[in-house]
Amino acid sequence: MTSTTRITAAAAALLAGSIGAAQADIKIGVLYPTSGTGAVYGVPAMQGHDMAVDEINGGGGVGGEMLVTFARDTKLKPAAAAAAAKELITKDNVDVLVGGLSSAVGLAISEVARQEGVIYIATIPKTIQMTTTKLHKHVFRTSSHTDFEGDAMAQIVAQLGKTKLCDIQLDYAYGHDLAAGIEKGLKRHAPNVEKVIDLRSKLGATDYNAQITQILGTGCDVVTSGLWGSHFVNFAQQAQPFGLFDQVVYISGGEIASHEIAGRMGKDYPDNVWSNTYELWYDHTVPAHEKFQADLAARAGTKETAMWPVLAYIGVKFIAAAAEKAGSTDADELAAALEGMSIDTPVGPRTIDPETHQADTGQFWGPMVRKEGVDYRVMNPVTYIPAKID
Amino acid sequence: MGLHMPRGTLVVCLLIVGALALLPLLESRYLIDLATEIMVYALFALSLNVIIGFSGNVSFGHAAYFAIGGYVNAILLTTYGWPLWLSFPAAVVLSALAAAFVAYFCTRLTDIYFAMLTLAFSMLVWAIAFKWRSVTGGDDGFVGVAVPAFIDSRVPFFYFTLVIVTGSIALLWTICHSAFGQALVAVRENLTRAGFIGVNTRMMRGLAFVVAGTFAGVAGAIFAMYNRGVYTESAFWTESAQVLIMTLLGGMYSFFGPAIGAAVLYILERFANEYTQYWPTVLGVILLVIVLVLPEGLVGLARRLGARLVRRSGA
Repeated sequence: MTSTTRITAAAAALLAGSIGAAQADIKIGVLYPTSGTGAVYGVPAMQGHDMAVDEINGGGGVGGEMLVTFARDTKLKPAAAAAAAKELITKDNVDVLVGGLSSAVGLAISEVARQEGVIYIATIPKTIQMTTTKLHKHVFRTSSHTDFEGDAMAQIVAQLGKTKLCDIQLDYAYGHDLAAGIEKGLKRHAPNVEKVIDLRSKLGATDYNAQITQILGTGCDVVTSGLWGSHFVNFAQQAQPFGLFDQVVYISGGEIASHEIAGRMGKDYPDNVWSNTYELWYDHTVPAHEKFQADLAARAGTKETAMWPVLAYIGVKFIAAAAEKAGSTDADELAAALEGMSIDTPVGPRTIDPETHQADTGQFWGPMVRKEGVDYRVMNPVTYIPAKID
Repeated sequence: MGLHMPRGTLVVCLLIVGALALLPLLESRYLIDLATEIMVYALFALSLNVIIGFSGNVSFGHAAYFAIGGYVNAILLTTYGWPLWLSFPAAVVLSALAAAFVAYFCTRLTDIYFAMLTLAFSMLVWAIAFKWRSVTGGDDGFVGVAVPAFIDSRVPFFYFTLVIVTGSIALLWTICHSAFGQALVAVRENLTRAGFIGVNTRMMRGLAFVVAGTFAGVAGAIFAMYNRGVYTESAFWTESAQVLIMTLLGGMYSFFGPAIGAAVLYILERFANEYTQYWPTVLGVILLVIVLVLPEGLVGLARRLGARLVRRSGA
C-alpha cells in the first residue's frame, strides 16, 4: 500500500467512525456544555456523570456490560447540540443520549432523538414543552419542570400569608415558562394574592436598578423570581442598599439555594430569601446521600460540593436500571422499561410517569439563613416539596 | 471569461457531484449527514462570496438571510401546513426581499460603514426571532419542522440537498460569470472608475447583495428541514462570522474557494469538538493564519504551490 493510499484509507476509516470507537457494551452519548458560559454547570454535571459510570462499572456493569461515555460539548447552542447528538448516534453509535442544559438545547436534542429513534434522557432542561407539546416516545426527563417549580413557589407564598406580589423574570423561555407556572400555582394555592407587577429583565442583564425601584414603589410584600446564577448575584448586590430585602420576602426558583450561589456570595447573600435546590451537600435526610456526597467531595477535592452533579448522576442511574430491566439497548425496549420505572437516588426515590415521561423530581425549598461558624448561608429548615400538582 | 466553465473545472465538478451521488452506497449515516451539512454550508459561503469576492464589500450580517430562509420555510411548512413546493420558494423570495430592503440602505455606504450596517440589520433579524415567541418559538427555537414525507428520511433528503445545492451553485456560477459578474469585479477593483465608465455601482452592489441573500435563504431553508428546527443563533453575528471565515479560508478571489473553505472548516470543527473544547481557540489560530500567511485562502495557496511546481519542472 502506498503512503497516499494508506492515508486515504485511514481518513476514510476515521470518517466512518471505525477508529477510536471502543468496543462498548452500553454506549452513552453525553451532551453538556463544557466550554463558555455554560461550563459552570456542564463541568460539575460531567463529574456526576463520570461518578455514576465508574460506580456502575466498578460493580460489574449492567449484566456484565460496561457503560462507555462519548461526550460532546453543546456550547449551550441548540444547533451545535443537535449536530453533536447526530454525530454521537451516527458515528459513535451510542445507544442513548443524556444531558442538556437550557430549554432550547434540550428541545433540539429531543428532536434528534425523535428523528433517529434513540432514547434521550434530559437531566437538567426544565421547559414544560418537552414532556407536553413536544413529547415523543423516546424522550424522558429526570429533572423538574417550570410548572412544578412555579407550583412550589405559590405554595410558599400561601404558607407565608403574603398578599401583594411582584414578579421579576428573565425575558427568555425559562422566565416566561416559570412565570406561567407561578400563575397556575397561585390560582391553586393563593387565589387571593394580588399580582401587582410583572417585570422582565434581559438575559445576561447586569443592571437591575430600574426594576428594583419599581418593586419598591409598588408596596409588594413578596417578590417571586427566577433570576439564576449571576443574575441573582447582581440583583441582590444592587437591591441591598435600597433595603429591598427588608421590605419583601424574595421567593426564587433557579436554584439560588444551591451551594454554588450561597458559597459564591458568602456574607453578601441577602436576608429573607427562600429558594430551591436539587441537592444540598450538608443535608443527609436520605441515608444514601452521605456516601454520595463523600464520594463526590473526594472526586471534586472540596468538602462543599456543587448541586449539578446529582442530576447527571441520576440520569446515568436511570439508563443503567432501564438497560438491566430491558436486557437490551433497543430504543423501544429501553423506553418501555423507563415508563413507570422507579429507582432510589441520593436525594430520594424517583419514578418516571409512564404517560408524560416526566420523573417526579421535586426540590428542596427553604429560607436561606446564617449559620454559626461559616461565612455562607444555609437552608434551614429544609423542606422537600414533591413534584405533584393537585 | 465567459459563461462556459473551463473543461478541467467542469470535470472536477462532475466528479464531485458523481462521487456525492454514490455516497449513500457506503451506507454510512455519518458520512451522509456530514456531506449534507457541508453542502449547505458550501452554498451559504458561496453566496456570501458574491458580496465579498465579487462586489468587494464585507458583510458581517449574512446569517440574517440564512435564518430568514430557515424560519420562513419552517413556519410555512409546520404552522401553516403549506406544501414544500410553495413554502420553499416563498422562503427564498422572502430572503431575497429582506436582502433587497437591507441593500437599499447599506449600499449608500461603503467599507466599514457598510459592514457595520449589515451587522446591525442582522441583529435586528435576530432580535425579531428572539422576541416574536408566538411565531418563531423565541430562544426555545422553532422545533419539530414538518418535513414532507418524500424527504423525511436520510438518503432522500441527501439527494434533495444535492440537487438543490448543485442547481444553486450552477446558477451562482452563471450569474457570477455573466456580464453582471464582470461588472461587479470592475466595481470591486475600482468603484470610482467603474462609476465613470457608466456602471451604476450602487445598483450593482445592491443586486449582488440580493443574489447573495437569495442563495443564503436557499441554504437556510434546507438546513431548517435537515435539523427539523431553526434557532435564533442562526441569525446571530457569530454565525455570520463563521461563514465569513469559511469564505476567507477557502479564498475569496476564487469562485469555488468558499465551498472548499466551508468543507475544511466544518470538518475541522467536527474533529476538534471530538477531542477538545477549545474550538474557538483553534478558530482564532485559523483566522490568524489566513490573515498573516494565506490572504488568498487555500485556493490561493494551491495556486502558488502549483506555480512553483511548474517553475521547478520548467527549470
